[in-house]
Amino acid sequence: MNNEANNTKDATAGLPGSVVGNSAGLNRRRFLEAAGFSISLVALGGCGRTPVETALPLVDHPEGLIPGNTLTYASTCSGCTAACGLLVQARDGRPLKMEGDPAHPLSRGGLCAVGQALPLGLYDDHRLKGPLHNGDPASWDKIDGNIKKQLRAIADSGGAVRFVTPTITSPTLQATIEALFDHYQFADARHVVFDVESCSAILDAHEQTHGARVLPHYKFYEDPAEPDGEPIAARVIVSFGADFLGTWISPVEFTAAWRKLRSPTAEHPVMSYHVQLEGRMSLAGSNADKRYRLLPDEYGIVLSHLAERLAESENKKSPPGHIAESSIPAAELKDLVDHLSNRLLDVQPGQSLVLCDSQNVADQLLVNFINNLLGNYETTVDVKRPSRQRQGSDADVLKLIEELKAGNVAALFVAGTDLTHNLPGREALVAAIGKVPLVVSFAERQDDFASLAHFVCPDHHPLESWLDAEPVDGVISLSQPTVKPLRDTRSILESLARWSERDESAYEILKTTWREKIFFPRAQQQSFRKFWNQAVHDGLVMVPPAKEISVDPFNSEAVRLADERPPQDGLSLVLYSKIGMTDSRHAHNPWLQELPDPVTKITWDNYVCISPALAEEEGLEDGDVVSVAAAGISVELPVLIQPGQHDRVLALALHYGVRGTDRYFHIGRQWLESRPTVAEGELVGKNVAGFVEPRDGALQYHRSGVTLKKTGRRHDLATTQIYQSLEVPKHIAPRGAEVRDQIQSTTLAAFAKDPLHAGASAHHLPDEQLWPEDHPKDGHAWGMIIDMNACTGCSACLIACQSENNVAVVGKDEVRRQREMHWIRLDRYYSGEGDDVEVQYQPMMCQHCDNAPCETVCPVLATVHSDEGLNEQIYNRCVGTRYCANNCPYKVRRFNWFNNTEWFDYELNGEQDSAEDSSLISLALNPDVTVRSRGVMEKCSMCVQRIEQARIQAGGRGAPIVDGAIQTACQQTCPAQAIVFGDMNDPDSAIHAELANPRRYGVLEEFNFRPTVTYLRVVKNTDERTPGHEAKGGRHE
Amino acid sequence: MSETPSLPRPELITGDKTLADVTNDICAPLECRPTGLWWAAIAVSLTALAIGVAAVWYQIATGIGTWGLNKTVGWAFDITNFVFWVGIGHAGTLISAVLFLFRAKWRTAVNRSAEAMTLFAVMCAGIFPLIHMGRTWLAYWTLPYPNTRGPLWVNFKSPLLWDVFAISTYLAISALFWYVGLVPDLATVRDRSKPGWRKRICSILCLGWNGSARTWHRYETVYLLLAGLATPLVFSVHSIVSMDFATAVIPGWHTTIFPPYFVAGAIFSGLAMVLTLMIIARKTMNLQNYITITHIDRMCKLMLSMGCLVGLAYGTEFFMAFYSGNGYEQFVFMNRALGPFSWAYWTMVICNVGIPQLLWFRKVRTTIPLVFLIVIVINIGMWFERFVIIVTSLHRDFLPSSWADYAPTSIEIATLLGSFGLFFTCFLMFCRLAPVIAIAEVKGAACLKKRRRAETPPAEKSPAEKIA
Repeated sequence: MNNEANNTKDATAGLPGSVVGNSAGLNRRRFLEAAGFSISLVALGGCGRTPVETALPLVDHPEGLIPGNTLTYASTCSGCTAACGLLVQARDGRPLKMEGDPAHPLSRGGLCAVGQALPLGLYDDHRLKGPLHNGDPASWDKIDGNIKKQLRAIADSGGAVRFVTPTITSPTLQATIEALFDHYQFADARHVVFDVESCSAILDAHEQTHGARVLPHYKFYEDPAEPDGEPIAARVIVSFGADFLGTWISPVEFTAAWRKLRSPTAEHPVMSYHVQLEGRMSLAGSNADKRYRLLPDEYGIVLSHLAERLAESENKKSPPGHIAESSIPAAELKDLVDHLSNRLLDVQPGQSLVLCDSQNVADQLLVNFINNLLGNYETTVDVKRPSRQRQGSDADVLKLIEELKAGNVAALFVAGTDLTHNLPGREALVAAIGKVPLVVSFAERQDDFASLAHFVCPDHHPLESWLDAEPVDGVISLSQPTVKPLRDTRSILESLARWSERDESAYEILKTTWREKIFFPRAQQQSFRKFWNQAVHDGLVMVPPAKEISVDPFNSEAVRLADERPPQDGLSLVLYSKIGMTDSRHAHNPWLQELPDPVTKITWDNYVCISPALAEEEGLEDGDVVSVAAAGISVELPVLIQPGQHDRVLALALHYGVRGTDRYFHIGRQWLESRPTVAEGELVGKNVAGFVEPRDGALQYHRSGVTLKKTGRRHDLATTQIYQSLEVPKHIAPRGAEVRDQIQSTTLAAFAKDPLHAGASAHHLPDEQLWPEDHPKDGHAWGMIIDMNACTGCSACLIACQSENNVAVVGKDEVRRQREMHWIRLDRYYSGEGDDVEVQYQPMMCQHCDNAPCETVCPVLATVHSDEGLNEQIYNRCVGTRYCANNCPYKVRRFNWFNNTEWFDYELNGEQDSAEDSSLISLALNPDVTVRSRGVMEKCSMCVQRIEQARIQAGGRGAPIVDGAIQTACQQTCPAQAIVFGDMNDPDSAIHAELANPRRYGVLEEFNFRPTVTYLRVVKNTDERTPGHEAKGGRHE
Repeated sequence: MSETPSLPRPELITGDKTLADVTNDICAPLECRPTGLWWAAIAVSLTALAIGVAAVWYQIATGIGTWGLNKTVGWAFDITNFVFWVGIGHAGTLISAVLFLFRAKWRTAVNRSAEAMTLFAVMCAGIFPLIHMGRTWLAYWTLPYPNTRGPLWVNFKSPLLWDVFAISTYLAISALFWYVGLVPDLATVRDRSKPGWRKRICSILCLGWNGSARTWHRYETVYLLLAGLATPLVFSVHSIVSMDFATAVIPGWHTTIFPPYFVAGAIFSGLAMVLTLMIIARKTMNLQNYITITHIDRMCKLMLSMGCLVGLAYGTEFFMAFYSGNGYEQFVFMNRALGPFSWAYWTMVICNVGIPQLLWFRKVRTTIPLVFLIVIVINIGMWFERFVIIVTSLHRDFLPSSWADYAPTSIEIATLLGSFGLFFTCFLMFCRLAPVIAIAEVKGAACLKKRRRAETPPAEKSPAEKIA
């Protein structure tokens, strides 16, 4: 104690004017010192760290670039192997919005939900930031050196090299892979094409019947080459399980073509007849005129009977063999075959189309036989200019698995697919891959396979890279970069070129391939430079095929009637893809995770679909967790009762349980009673790829001998629609109002008879207005008409709207609480039971009523009517009373219950440490559309930003807005072109013409809300017909 | 009171009180220390209030998402509570103004507390439209005043705006009416108080009351005028509240019967709440002689008539739905009675129409515990009435695809609890700070002696006692 005191004294004693000594007085010097210090402090404080923002003008200003204006690049969609045409809308160097390319001959301007969701993937923070070597970041040089060294050694030692990709429609990538093989002169190098949903059996069947392993190009409709020629048209479509409107091969293209014969007019009341036979309820099935529930095991039997019957009718030789017994009662089977054959023979040869998604080659041979018999190979089934959209060879894949297990592979390259996630027997496969000395992945993120790879060489996001695609022979499109790569990634073309000792950029590689493989063989008149520039501008060239596929005459030798007796009882499992989840890589896209499945309306999960009868038998309800087991594999998932499903079928969606989806633990606002989208550390859904069965040389997506066991646990499913029918519950249904008439429908015959009144509701039409119109709308009058006969419910519009209008993702808990934010609700209603379950879809968004109930009740005038007929929501005036939403008869208004955007931005990517590290996700926002804060109402604005944009552009030119200059996001993307938008006052507009459509009606029009959005009545071709009743060709002449 | 009534009228005050006794008895709670019961009551109320405040704070900080609402059911507990509390607030004005104009003298024992109750109930009610807004901090945008935002005006077509006017007017008039009625009593308290804060405050608040004939004259005139002004409000406020629903297009809301139906319901629930409070107050504050069986009996009769009116309205709604031929309308009522919320509907019917029928019996009306039970049941029933109207109409409207469920969250329940906490806290504070019975009016209405029984010959037994 003493010591301490002494020390202090000693320490301060010698200092002149020490603090201690002088504390009592304040002299002038001290004052100046203090003042000087204070001033410096204030001055320094003022120089605090304000954020430094640099805005430099472009040194090299690109021609035509106006900051803030949208630049459009023609490109190709990379969402699946269908390779639809794309117009990428980029703003200030950021690709923001995907639009379908109307000039594309296949997709015809449409784009699906997956394509619409592409930009979100680009700005995903979980993409790899650079290449990895054994899981650690490494430099490209080091990796290149390493791989080259190892490849050289393999080439010298004669090791086997296997390059696995999904179907590659890109001629350049194909050539580059071959170039790599050539460069090293490997003794045993093979390119294995593995499709997660393979159509291998179709290709194999064509190899047997046509001598060429091709996937036919199915044409539901093709305009005639000459103006007065006959179009190619599938007037009768019989599909065995093929969900061609949903996920099968090229759904956008098929929807666009299918739709052509689905809109009967008063003058021309003709439409195609579509029969679907399937086990589960697919999107195509839900849109069919007639749907039969059929076990996939029995496709062969029905096809055999059909082949036999058709051969008999056409006096042709029936395929040999004896048809096995079926579980379907004989009388029913006879009726079914009668019905199908009558319908198929009712049209002229070549005007029908039989499809099948079976992976059984025998089934596909029968399909080929039938299509051949019906003369479809000349027309609707094109094998001369085939499709390249599914090239998968399951035999190769199975062989690869054997080789891997035997340890015979020296190098394994995998690009574009997550091999271990998508193949059955993951454990054994992982062990086998462990034996491969060189494993290289090109994955954009650390997926299941990439985590096993020695080298991960992340490819660019498709929006960052050059590539091309040839989905159908002679239709070649380009992908071009629309943004500088955000990460230290490298185009796969460049990676392969580096390893082949070529120092070219992806652009140069592409251009070279085009010059050598596309331009010169066809000896174009113009210069290559001109050809190339035009191709980049259009994103597309259509050239005659390099070589005509030589097809042998139909060989019916291989075709045999199905003589294998399918299991007579027990459950069968069907694996399928959901519309938004066609590949495991999309699992990282929250838009697609929250996209309600068009049929089930469930978000954020996969589940076991079972029929209502099975549910009753097993005592199951929606959300009961069951254990599904087959051949030693089992998975526990919640059940969903799916009307229209075969009673012996369980349907499970693939592409769930994807590594890394535990990230969604963070998504959505967490509060007292909320539950996270996924439990901590768990994944979204379960991976069911284990059930894929290698059988008969192919990967089978259905298998029998499956058991189902109730576990007693529950797992909540988040659905956006909890009541499924237009029929109100029976016990509370008032007499005469048992069924609501929001969807009006009729049959083709009734429509032909009385187009105006068939299917119309009996209630009286709007009264005269009591008061003079306070919005006379003598300028523009925007309106929308939706053709419900064309709409398939595919939900592309929903994601297009989400992308265009910055609609928030809210997470599973909020969806469960019925608070999803989607501006478009795709209503789906069931009616009927068993085989007769009918499904109807209705896109429902703000109806922009002229007498809008929402407008009168807002106390602060936050929702008002424009003089052009729009119902406008003024976000920053809204105080959030929700009165407007309550009073909306269509319930299309969405309230921001929480600060959704903020939580989406930061929570999706976990905690962010600093501003510099902030998430990229907000770059995906459309700068034209306000991001809504919490507490305000929002709803469909009819893309008012696009209307204003068109007005500004037209105003700049001093010209009126022409019809078609404005396309709403939903309209633009609609693969079925079901939506017409425009100025109803413009007598030349498309919508003006549609106003007179006899099928047009307004939902709840009897209440005089005067909706501006109206619908065209559903017409189903369900009338019974006797053969010869009408002229062949299905025409009513 | 007439000396020769055809039927003996029960006396309004029992217990043979003198004028001085009245003053002493009524002022007693103000002048002595609070009882243990009061402390217990205020502790419970404050706890409830604190829970409510925490819930509201949490909701405002986090978002309306902490309530169980969804895209289809945009209002539930919030507006139910609002309408419930506004309804409660009706009995005050009815008793004060309407019964005053009808010269129903029995009102004097209950009018003060009924008015106070009105005031607190309207305060509670006013909170809900405020906190139900997504952006509460911008609530002032609902007021029409010249501003720099354009200027942006409010939407005079919106019933919510009418609510703003109706509720604020009602709150202002009720407060004024209550205060004016308090003035003579405040003077009494002033005169009785020892020098101190109470005396000082009362001196200011009683506006220099000196008890002169002129003061009394002025007071009576103002009171009569205010009663005349307040009377239309009894009918207008809940009529306007009902228009939140009646002017909407939602089946189950869109009915012309709503204004009278809501007014009847409001008076019904208000009387029930007054009785609830009175029964508690007379017991805990020893006011059995002032709030007598007679009062309770009459209130019960009034309540019974209102209950029957409400029952008639329920029936009419069903008839109109049937008669309209409108399938949507019919469905809503079928759904109410037999749908997922039928339990709420039948709770409402049993509580509001079924059980109150017991009040036909005099025996029931004069059995205090039974009456207490019935009024509690009516309070619950009337809350459910609003819940049924709001939630069952919204959750299944036109398009089946948008049908939804509703279940409250803990935050909503806590907020409801908090509103009761606020109400009872205010009421308990009022009991300690102002005379709960209008001293001057009671004296004026009842025939009281100046002196005690010892100094005058003993009177006959009062009729009420005879009945008892």
